[in-house]
Amino acid sequence: MNTYVKNLFKFCLIVLLQVLILNKITLRWWAQPGGFPVFIPFVYPLFILLLPFETSVPALLILGFVTGISVDIFMNTAGMHACATVLLAYLRTNVLNALLPKNLSEYPNQSPGVKNMGWMPFLVYSGFLILLHHAMFFTLELWSLNNIGYLLLKIVASAVTSMLFIVAYLLLFTRQSSSRI
Amino acid sequence: MRNFILFVRRFFNLILFLGLEIVCIILIARTNSLQGTDIMSSANTVSGLMYKKQNDVVIYFGLRRMNDSLINENARLRQAMAIYHNLDTLKDTAVRRIVKTSDSTRVVQYNEYIYRTAKVVNNSVSSGNNYITINRGSADGIAKNMPVISSTGVVGRVVNVSAHFASVLSVLSVKQQLSAKLKDGTFSYITWDGDNPDVMVMKDVPQQIKIHMNDSVFTTSFSFFPSDILIGTVFKMKVNTKNNLRQLYLHPSTNFRNIQYVYVVENKMMAERVKLEDSTKKIK
Repeated sequence: MNTYVKNLFKFCLIVLLQVLILNKITLRWWAQPGGFPVFIPFVYPLFILLLPFETSVPALLILGFVTGISVDIFMNTAGMHACATVLLAYLRTNVLNALLPKNLSEYPNQSPGVKNMGWMPFLVYSGFLILLHHAMFFTLELWSLNNIGYLLLKIVASAVTSMLFIVAYLLLFTRQSSSRI
Repeated sequence: MRNFILFVRRFFNLILFLGLEIVCIILIARTNSLQGTDIMSSANTVSGLMYKKQNDVVIYFGLRRMNDSLINENARLRQAMAIYHNLDTLKDTAVRRIVKTSDSTRVVQYNEYIYRTAKVVNNSVSSGNNYITINRGSADGIAKNMPVISSTGVVGRVVNVSAHFASVLSVLSVKQQLSAKLKDGTFSYITWDGDNPDVMVMKDVPQQIKIHMNDSVFTTSFSFFPSDILIGTVFKMKVNTKNNLRQLYLHPSTNFRNIQYVYVVENKMMAERVKLEDSTKKIK
C-alpha cells in the first residue's frame, strides 16, 4: 500500500479513536471527591510520532497543525490541541536525531517504531514528547499558575495514562511478521 | 533582498513553527470571548453529525437509567398538576371539581416560560470550560443565551446555535458565574474552581445567616435562569479570614457525568426586561 494512503488511513483511525472513544472515558485514579484531577488520555499525538523518518520538518508542522485542529473542532478547544501538537511536531526531528545512532536519511521507507528502535529508545522518544505536549496543553487550558501543584499533577498523571494507552495501541496495531510498520 | 531570502530559507522551519503557533494563539484568544465560538465548535454540521451517529450507539447503554429519571420527572409533574388543578390526575375518570378563584384585584398572570426538551449528544466534565452539545438548534426555536436545566437542576446556557445543534456552556465553567440564593432569600454568587465536577463554591455569604448541612441553594430571578431551580446542596462551610464572609461548598444537584436529557427554557419576557433595564441605565 502507498505510504500516503496508509498514513491517511492511520490519521482517520487515530483521530476517530481519540474523538469517539477516548474522549468519552473520563478517568479518575481513585474515587473520593476532591482528591485527584479528572483527565482524558490523549493518544492522537501518536500519529505525528509514527510518521516516516524522512518526513521534512515543514510537512510535520503542517500535519501537526491539521491533526490538532481536527481534534480541536470536536472538543471545543479552538487551537489548544493544535498549539501543543505543532510544538511536538517541531521537536520530533531533534529528539530522533539525539536518540538514533545513524543519520535519519539512512532509514529509508521506515517509521519510528518498536521494531527498528527497540522498546527503550521508543518509550523515551514518545514519553518525552508526550510529556511536553501535555505540559503545553494543560498550561494553555488552565491559563494560570495559581495552583501549580495541581497543574503538575494533572500533566504527569495524564502523560502516564496516555503512555499506557499508546503502548496498548502499539501492541494491538504493530504487525508481527513484516519488518515494515 | 538577497540576504532576506537567504535568511528566510535558513530559518524556514522556525518561521513556519512560530507562524503556526501564532495562528493557534489567535484562535484561542478569539474564541475565549464567548461571542467568537462560531466556526470552531462542536455545533458545526460535520462534527455534530459524527457525534449524533456515535450517540445513536451509546444511548442504548443508558436507556434504563434514562427511563427512571423520566418516570421520576413525570411523577413530579403530575404531583404539581394535582396541586394546581385540584384534580387527581392518576385516575382515568375525570373528577369534575374545578376550584374557582375569585380575585378582586384581577392580577393577570402571563405564561412566562416555554420548556423545550433536548437530547445531549456530546458532553465533557474534564476541562476548564465544559461544553454540552444538544440536538436542537435554531430550527427548533433555540437561541443564544437561553438557560438550560435538567430534571434535577441547572445545567448551563446556550452559547452557540446552528440549524440543528446547539452548544451549551455548562455551569462547570471558570468563566461564568451564577447568581444564587439560599432558602431564606440571602443571595450571592456561585463559581467553579475548574478541577472537580462534584464541587461548586458559593462565595461571600454573611456569617450571621444560619446554614445547615444539606441546605439547598436555588437560582434567583436576577440571572437569566428562571428562579427557584435547584443548584445544589451544601456539604462544607469555611470562613474566609480576609473579609470574614463564609464560603459554602456545594454538591451540584445535576450529575454532569451522565446527563442525557435537558430542557431549554425560553423566557418570553426576557427581551422586554433587558430592553427596559438598558433604557433605565441610559437615563442615569
